[in-house]
Amino acid sequence: MSSKTSAKDLIWDPVFNNNPIALQILGICSALAVTTKLSTSLTMSFAVIAVTACSSAAVALIKDRIPSSIRIIVQMTIIASFVILVDQVLKAFAFQLSKELSVFVGLIITNCIVMGRAEGFAMKNSVSDSFFDGLGNGLGYSIILMVVGFFRELFGSGTLFGFTVFATQSAGGWYEPNGLMLLSPSAFFIIGIFIWVLRTWKPEQVEEA
Amino acid sequence: MPLNKDSLPNTFLVATLLCLTCALVVSAASVSLRPLQLENAQLDRRNNILQVSGFTPEEIKEGGGIKKVFESRFDVEIIDLDTGDDARDECQAAMNKAKDKEVNLAEEYDQLWASKVNPEKGLSEKLDKKTDVCGIKSREKFSEVFIMKSTDGKPELYVFPVRGNGLWSLMQGYLSVKPDFQTVVGLTFYQQAETPGLGGEVQNPDWKALWNGKKIYDNGEVKLAVIKGNKAGNDYGVDALSGATITSNGVTNMIDFWMGSKGFGPFIEKMKNQDSGNTNTSAAGGNNVK
Repeated sequence: MSSKTSAKDLIWDPVFNNNPIALQILGICSALAVTTKLSTSLTMSFAVIAVTACSSAAVALIKDRIPSSIRIIVQMTIIASFVILVDQVLKAFAFQLSKELSVFVGLIITNCIVMGRAEGFAMKNSVSDSFFDGLGNGLGYSIILMVVGFFRELFGSGTLFGFTVFATQSAGGWYEPNGLMLLSPSAFFIIGIFIWVLRTWKPEQVEEA
Repeated sequence: MPLNKDSLPNTFLVATLLCLTCALVVSAASVSLRPLQLENAQLDRRNNILQVSGFTPEEIKEGGGIKKVFESRFDVEIIDLDTGDDARDECQAAMNKAKDKEVNLAEEYDQLWASKVNPEKGLSEKLDKKTDVCGIKSREKFSEVFIMKSTDGKPELYVFPVRGNGLWSLMQGYLSVKPDFQTVVGLTFYQQAETPGLGGEVQNPDWKALWNGKKIYDNGEVKLAVIKGNKAGNDYGVDALSGATITSNGVTNMIDFWMGSKGFGPFIEKMKNQDSGNTNTSAAGGNNVK
């Protein structure tokens, strides 16, 4: 396998075949919290992609020097630094969005996907492979966020990226927004349906009963 | 590999180097992005002032952005909360002394920070338990007041910065009132961390809209409050947020404090006296604002 196809596989594999949320069921807490709107979902997606890719690469870079006794805390420190970096950049360049995301950017530190990739992949693989793996897992997380955000914003507020699609009744239109969509539990349903669809498409993901 | 990576010296070496690198990266980012962040935060507060004064986002856009609209329509006054007098110079002097440099008041006067510095610096004063109804412990000596002027220079609106504790967080916001100092135009929060969906509904536009037209004083006492099961047509009550009693009470206490004698009471009284002296019409609510 040439390195080019492997980079492609590393990126695309986690999106559908080995999706961190749909298959590994990791990191769903923040997927519930930030997906009421597409704009926040997208920002969160970029934040997570940046953090997973960069922290995986950074961990892979120094993996031969990390003593195994403190490897988890080393990974945490690297991840936390990148998260703070992303948070600072958001505050400086996308203040309104960072205000809406509030604590959830900071909570990327506790997102199991990031830690899982650092410990599970980056500790054993090269810098570039780890970077692409992080990128791919970030993308896998993002696609769920975008799908959930799409349905929640469309049915919850009748808009997409803030542009009106269904005119709501309060604005003189016909659509009565579904309040449930704005509450966290709706994300559970959408993620559940997503997993259902994905596993119907790719039956090999179905776990044995 | 030349070095045993699990050895004790290497463990310490890696830990130290990693901490240093990360600390350097994080602090460099923080320092270099600070000015932009502060600017954003101020713009956000300005935006809130405009919104609480009834500007719609479209109007702000048409007027050339937040900064332009704010600067063309608003005067910023700095007052001494105890006397209600203009105190820009005193505030400037105290700030220069506290920060040990020439401070640009318009950009660098942070009231929350000022309220927390040692009272000896002359920027704040401690509150005793009885007067401190909204749990802020100490209060700044000088406060900004934002005055919206019509084209002929007459004040149309007064916007007061207010804050108070809710259930989890310090809620910081603005209250805008008409020049009769009796009728509320709006209340908004630019900073709060109450429970999303419950106390966080203080940010709900529908709830904020309830404040428009409410009355503050009855016989010189602050009567406006957030009330559970408020009766329709009650000018002194705003319906409480369901499931958020402590947040609702926090808002009541906040209004009570900042509109009272420890808050903007002296300023309001002074403005009313001035007004009645000039035009001989006494404003509603009486002169002895308590």
